[in-house]
Amino acid sequence: MVDDTSEEPRIQDLVLSLAASPNFAHDGICFAARTSGLYRSDDGGITWRSTYDSLALEAPLATTAVVVSPNFGSDRSVFAGVHGGVLRSVDGGENWNGAILPSPPPLVSVLATSPNFAHDGTLFAGTVEDGVFHSADRGSHWSGWNFGLLDLNVLCMATSPNFANDETLLVGTESGIFRSTNGGRAWRDVNFPTDFAPVLSLVLSPGYADDGVLFAGTESCGLFYSEDRGHTWERLGQDVFTEAVNGIVLSPEFPAQPDILAMLSTALLVSRDGGQSWSDWKAGLPLEQGLASVAAPQGLDPGSPLLVGLVEGGVLRA
Amino acid sequence: MTSKQKTPRVVFQPSAYQGLQRGINQMVEAVRPTLGPLPRIVAIERMTRSRTPELLDNGGVIARRIIQLPDRDEDVGAMFVRHMLWRLHDKVGDGTATAAVLFQSVYNQGLRYIVAGGNAMQLRCYLETSLQVILDELTHMAIHLEGKESLAQIAETISHDPPLAKMLGEIFDIIGEYGQLEVRSGRSRELEREYVEGMYWKGGVHSRQMISDHTNLRTEMENVAVLISDIEIEDPRRLIPIVDMAVQAEIRSLLIIASKLSESATSLLLRASQDPTKFKAIAVKAPWMTISDRATALEDLAILTGGRAFAKIAGYTLGGVKLQDLGRARRAWADRSHFGIIGGKGDPRLLRQHITDLRSAFRQSEDPDMRKKLRERIGKLMGGSATLWVGGVAEREIDARKELAQRTSDALRGAIVEGVLPGGGVSLLACRPALQRMLEQSTDPDERAAYRMLIRALEEPVRTILTNAGYDASEVMAEIKQAGPGFGFDVRSGQVADVAQAGIFDVSSVQKAAVHSAVASAALALTIDVLVHPKKPQESVDTA
Repeated sequence: MVDDTSEEPRIQDLVLSLAASPNFAHDGICFAARTSGLYRSDDGGITWRSTYDSLALEAPLATTAVVVSPNFGSDRSVFAGVHGGVLRSVDGGENWNGAILPSPPPLVSVLATSPNFAHDGTLFAGTVEDGVFHSADRGSHWSGWNFGLLDLNVLCMATSPNFANDETLLVGTESGIFRSTNGGRAWRDVNFPTDFAPVLSLVLSPGYADDGVLFAGTESCGLFYSEDRGHTWERLGQDVFTEAVNGIVLSPEFPAQPDILAMLSTALLVSRDGGQSWSDWKAGLPLEQGLASVAAPQGLDPGSPLLVGLVEGGVLRA
Repeated sequence: MTSKQKTPRVVFQPSAYQGLQRGINQMVEAVRPTLGPLPRIVAIERMTRSRTPELLDNGGVIARRIIQLPDRDEDVGAMFVRHMLWRLHDKVGDGTATAAVLFQSVYNQGLRYIVAGGNAMQLRCYLETSLQVILDELTHMAIHLEGKESLAQIAETISHDPPLAKMLGEIFDIIGEYGQLEVRSGRSRELEREYVEGMYWKGGVHSRQMISDHTNLRTEMENVAVLISDIEIEDPRRLIPIVDMAVQAEIRSLLIIASKLSESATSLLLRASQDPTKFKAIAVKAPWMTISDRATALEDLAILTGGRAFAKIAGYTLGGVKLQDLGRARRAWADRSHFGIIGGKGDPRLLRQHITDLRSAFRQSEDPDMRKKLRERIGKLMGGSATLWVGGVAEREIDARKELAQRTSDALRGAIVEGVLPGGGVSLLACRPALQRMLEQSTDPDERAAYRMLIRALEEPVRTILTNAGYDASEVMAEIKQAGPGFGFDVRSGQVADVAQAGIFDVSSVQKAAVHSAVASAALALTIDVLVHPKKPQESVDTA
């Protein structure tokens, strides 16, 4: 059931990334990165407004990734990936400063913050041709950190929930998965078969430090699961996943509450048993126009709001 | 030379055994003081006696410095051990003192058994079989390392130099087991490190006029197309179609790798690059000296950039170059001595497969030179390298620390691949119960002798460490035995301790290589029955 589809502004452009305030249940703040710019909603994704007004741009600024600080409630920090740089705002998107990434201008495909961002100020930017860039000063300065990253086409990224201690992050690329255990300074390839790549989505269990569980969604080979930090992999829902798995969301209480959401090109599937069986998130959703991004700011409980970015533009609040 | 001078001298038993044993013991006793964290120094007199003696605590180097003993029977034994130790040093960078004392123990015990009527060939066979039992036990004990702190800890147990160990821990955490590390003399008193992104090769620009940044004497290009070749370009007309093709394809930066570039060809490229905002071409020297090195480097460059290698030896000319033959990279740079590529746009799947193949070849190769070359290739392709600048007050101090850094690096690479073992010889002590069980099951006298010898020999490294540190080995061994498995003696604190908890480790690959070299070589040496000396020995040369 569709609760609402954003109407204002009704922009027919790809919604590449969605990010919600950690306090979404109370403040309803979320951001949508689109080909036409970055948009903010203060009412849980019902209405949207451009956040680039202060920049007085002459042409739309394609925004390819967005991430909010884990401490957004206090630091109001938002980061937006654009061609050749990363924009940062410390007032919830009202005003922006730009940081230029090393030339030639990279295209940012994904942004991620350290879960310990309040203390370490660490951010990562994955790019389409130039690997991973790292900032240790809240996005002011960036440098390329690609030792051992044999594939520089970064499509997705996931940081360990225990990053403060294990300094672990993973990236999915055109040819597989790479892991860093030293905060992105160096990378080693994960034992993920290159035949199953590209890897479009990655997610680590909230208890990754103890259970070593991670999920990887691929373009043409479905969804994969590992419970030993990526040494061995098991394919899930072989008959179900016939399309690209563009996004994966785990319940914040995973594995105690083994809910998994998988976003395919034209479907949203949920498993309530750790990936053994799958069903539609909701019946009757108008998903045929194509899905590009997803966020579950309040978890995956039935009835929790889900934000879905559409290929044709707009954000579905499901 | 007369026929009399050609007549060899043949030495039979018991003189052969006696001479060999004396030579072996002399060589081992020269290396023995260097075992353990509190080693003693061996002073080697210089060839020119006016210079101060060379002070060494590295068993491999000490063995290499002893190039001949005056007694020729003894010399055979000493050179046998020398060769084993230097090969071991060359392969894993450490473990020579452990191998020496193990070798001596097995050999001396074995000799007594053979003289008393034991079968040398059977004994060799059982020693070699038992060796596998020890290696399997060590493999099971190995703990795998992760993180710069762990790496620094193991580096400290090898180098006993905390600042160097900390620096190497960080470097190897980043570059990994195959990463390229250059150890150079620094200009300050401190240790410094520098990381270089991307891959680089020796071979600078063909002409200084191709350098655009005159401050840093370097030129950089973005979104570059790469012509990969080792062709000598004399006639500039050969380049015209390639430059035209690049310009028509809207390529703005072209890097040409070639063995030689004539002045007229250089002029052509400079003229074509008159407006660098529209088009810029530079040519760098194909740097490789040997045909095989050149072929492998061209192959690596082709896979890295997705281009095609135009090798002169394969009969290629520039006439057949097509647009799709050019490699691509996000960035390239060149100075007067090197060129580098960052973000090669080759197929990452092919690159990963290529590295997997090179790693496999590395693991299978026993040839140190081949392994070194393969490691360098893998390191380059991994996308970065590090330089460690070793500073100091005097040149000799810097050289010694550089050698230590290199040796520690070699051992660290092994530690990353195969992990570490409880140190201080404790892992060797822990192999004895497995041999003891086999001893109890065996009835063959030669087999039982082999087990007994190895059980005794595996104690020898611990005993030597204790003696070198000034402790009564028998007394401390009794304390260790009483403390139980995993416990050893921390000679620095003077306490019996759980060595793993105390952070005392040995590199698994080093320990296994030392045991393998020592036991296999001793087993072979025990089968030597006759010595033959040429009448007039050749001048001794250092063939290690």
